[in-house]
Amino acid sequence: MALTRRQFLTLMGGSAGAAVLFQACGVPEKELFIDSPVEMPEDLVSGIDNWYATVCQYCDTSEGIVVRVMEGRAKKIEGNVDYPVNIGTHSARCEAGLQALYHPDRISAPLVRTGPRGSGEYSEISWTDAISRLTGTLRDLEDQGNSGHAVLLTNPIGGHLGLVLDNFVSASGCRHLTHEPIETASVRQAIKEVFSQDAYPEFDINNADLVLSFGADFLSTWVSPTRYSRGYGEFRQGHDHRGKLIHIESRFSHTAANADQWVRPNPGTEGILALAIIQEIVSHESPDPSVVEALTGGDPSWLDSYAPDNVAARIGVEADVIKHIAHDFFHASHPISLGGGSAAAHSNGLSAMKAAFSLNHLAGNIGTKGGVILNPVSPLRGVNPVGAGNSFSDFQRLAEDMQAGNVELLMVRGADPYYGIPDVAAFKERLANVPLIVSFSNMMDDTTSVADLILPEHNYLEDWGTDVPLAGVGYQTIGFQQPVVRPFFENRGENLGTKGFADILLTSAQVMEKDLGFSSDTFKDVIRDGARELYQRNGGSVEAPTFEAFWNGILQRGGWWAVESTGPSSASPVRLDGVAEPIISGNGAFNLQPFLSSSLLDGRLAFLPWLQAMPDPISTATWQTWVEINHKVAEERDIKEGDVLQISTTRGIILALAMPNPATPPDAISIPIGQGHRDHGRYASGRGANVLSILDAVHDESTGSLAWAATKADIRKTGDWIRVPKFENTVPDFPRDEHNHIIELTSDLGGNH
Amino acid sequence: MIPGDFQPKRPTPKQLVKLGILGIFSLGAFAGVVIALTFVLTAWLGRPVIFGSTEFREGPNQPIAFPHETHVKKLGMDCTFCHRNVEKEAAASVPATGLCMTCHSTVGDGLEGIEKMRDLYEDGRSIHWVRVHRVPDHVHFVHEAHIRYFSEAEGVETSQVCQKCHGEVAEMEKVRQVENLKMGDCVDCHKKNAAPTDCSTCHY
Repeated sequence: MALTRRQFLTLMGGSAGAAVLFQACGVPEKELFIDSPVEMPEDLVSGIDNWYATVCQYCDTSEGIVVRVMEGRAKKIEGNVDYPVNIGTHSARCEAGLQALYHPDRISAPLVRTGPRGSGEYSEISWTDAISRLTGTLRDLEDQGNSGHAVLLTNPIGGHLGLVLDNFVSASGCRHLTHEPIETASVRQAIKEVFSQDAYPEFDINNADLVLSFGADFLSTWVSPTRYSRGYGEFRQGHDHRGKLIHIESRFSHTAANADQWVRPNPGTEGILALAIIQEIVSHESPDPSVVEALTGGDPSWLDSYAPDNVAARIGVEADVIKHIAHDFFHASHPISLGGGSAAAHSNGLSAMKAAFSLNHLAGNIGTKGGVILNPVSPLRGVNPVGAGNSFSDFQRLAEDMQAGNVELLMVRGADPYYGIPDVAAFKERLANVPLIVSFSNMMDDTTSVADLILPEHNYLEDWGTDVPLAGVGYQTIGFQQPVVRPFFENRGENLGTKGFADILLTSAQVMEKDLGFSSDTFKDVIRDGARELYQRNGGSVEAPTFEAFWNGILQRGGWWAVESTGPSSASPVRLDGVAEPIISGNGAFNLQPFLSSSLLDGRLAFLPWLQAMPDPISTATWQTWVEINHKVAEERDIKEGDVLQISTTRGIILALAMPNPATPPDAISIPIGQGHRDHGRYASGRGANVLSILDAVHDESTGSLAWAATKADIRKTGDWIRVPKFENTVPDFPRDEHNHIIELTSDLGGNH
Repeated sequence: MIPGDFQPKRPTPKQLVKLGILGIFSLGAFAGVVIALTFVLTAWLGRPVIFGSTEFREGPNQPIAFPHETHVKKLGMDCTFCHRNVEKEAAASVPATGLCMTCHSTVGDGLEGIEKMRDLYEDGRSIHWVRVHRVPDHVHFVHEAHIRYFSEAEGVETSQVCQKCHGEVAEMEKVRQVENLKMGDCVDCHKKNAAPTDCSTCHY
């Protein structure tokens, strides 16, 4: 039987139809059964969301957030409108916290290394085993009288976790170091001296009418961008008078792009510029004589060498510009001066920051609306805002100790020194001398990838905690962090899964029979004890007849604050130091200016794909390491966007994609920090380059802080080209008619125009 | 051979093969039609058609023979005590075993069903109930809206509303379906109560 074309098609159609009918008509088996839940919390209604308030841990200043939870899964993060720091706003970094919670590469059980170091070969062990290995080593060291050979290296930690950590450190006798790749030690020291404050005072940008910023990129990365951005909105549009923003930085940053006036001094001369402004005000205006006396130590004549006319050439800014700024600043009704970022990252960082912040004393704005409002101390003893990290010099010493065999146990939590410490300290090589490296990270990162023992901690959305805001709001505030979901790896059982870091410390102390001085042995109870103290003060944002009601109240609001408990109303000015010429290392043609990525920060968030894909505010580049270079210089050297450039300093070489930009100074190149991880989950590993690794060891003598903006570099084309992943990369310009700039309207349109 | 006697023509071997193949094909086609019909009926009823079963009249056997009679009629418990989210969400919600255990950690020792439930609870395993009511595919039925409407319109308790569709569950040994819950049912009732009858009311 010969099959005709028509018959063939009929048969095919018929069988396809029958297949579809069979498939569609059956009832899937899972729909024929209903599984009863084993336990069901009363407030859980399927299909209806619950919002829980907690505190985000992904920025320098923790933001109050609310998390939308449906059927036990966190779905969305929003700002907590009640929380005084961010009042409902939140950053993209907070938003990406969900991806950290459900990251496919999260470590789900304690691991012990089985292959050679760095090979990534691990096998799972139980928590009991893992903790006994850790405490065993700690105990051995103690028996040998070498407790100090155990080093606990963390990120700067505050709140109750800081309290537990401090008690653990003093009970176990180990050394504690805190690491932040972009060191703020100079800024924090200056704040301490100028305002007598441990954390940052409140800068009331909201009510100011002139903000003078020395390198502080406060709209993007500095201290609390959400708080300051909110204030900035009010500053620009919330009042009758539009505030004026003057930004002084050698890179065209997000804040510089928003400024009315962007002043670009030579790198490292921001402090000299601040002193020139002070000199101009002291000699030509009429500031409070007692402040002038305190600032200059009685004799203002030493300031004369910083007169605008004398230093203009060194700074690279015209004397008239400096004089205008001084005039505008002094005559503004609510001026604020703040400093940080690259302006503090030089060998003269501390003296520069002291000058920048002291301008507030000259303006007499301490404790005033639209000025600098000082913060009270924390309502709970030992529960403080996060401190400044240890300085680069401390880490150089640590590396030397490792070399000498004086570090036998290195415990790392929340920090990634393998990534963040410049190669010049030889930290990576010297890690080989440490017999046991323990990491508490729940994600692989560079340091964890060479660890021998991994005790994965909970994600912050699964854990308890408190936070005293680093950028305090002018009155006592404590944010409360609560688990919004059950631990994701709970189903792996008691012996596997993750645990809270504080609980790991408490359990370890218990195993070692050390008393940490807490009345209970879980972190939740430690926090409840803190809350009970607040309850007994009888005041603040939550009033309740019983402690249980009070506890529910603070968890519901996301924290406790007392508007009436304000800080001191004044601080006495201190004598300024002269600002020395900055030391710049190397003799390359360009100043190398690393900057914090607005999404990845110092690299700790590079494992989150949402943040990888978030465009940089200036270049709109994503997913890569690029180098901003002046477009004229690029043209001269025949460099196009996407050309792979080799950037070399005296300390090393990295590769980055060229990104010509007219706003980049001709003698500088800027590279974002954050990429170039050895191992940081599937989205970050081996992507881009780490600019921190090629920095030279210039530091501020007075604080030991790394001068991370004080290295010179050279560039060279490698001949390769890669398309820079950026916003609207492939969309061409609209066609333009070069010869007709004027659109002619015909008279037929008529009307009264 | 008698003249006129009818003698069927013997089929040739070739014809035999053809007939055999045709027979097999017809059997296959018949089976196909039966299976297709079963599927269509299953989809139409919203539950599987099992030939010769009395389940539609009696209700299916459940892994634990839960006596609604004891709980509702004898103890006077309200429907919403166990189906506690029926006023809040789309599903009437099957109670968590944890809820059963609030009483049955002490009540009902020695009873087979309760022992079984306790074992499951201890192991953290769920009970696989056999579904009794299932609206056909591509239909959304929201309990919350229906309960709210009827209890407001008629001024009655939530538990009086349930029986409109589910019948006297308190009287049933095994829970069974009493209304056919097909589109005709839905549309009739919607018309009677001036509820919208747009397609998108249920098919969304």
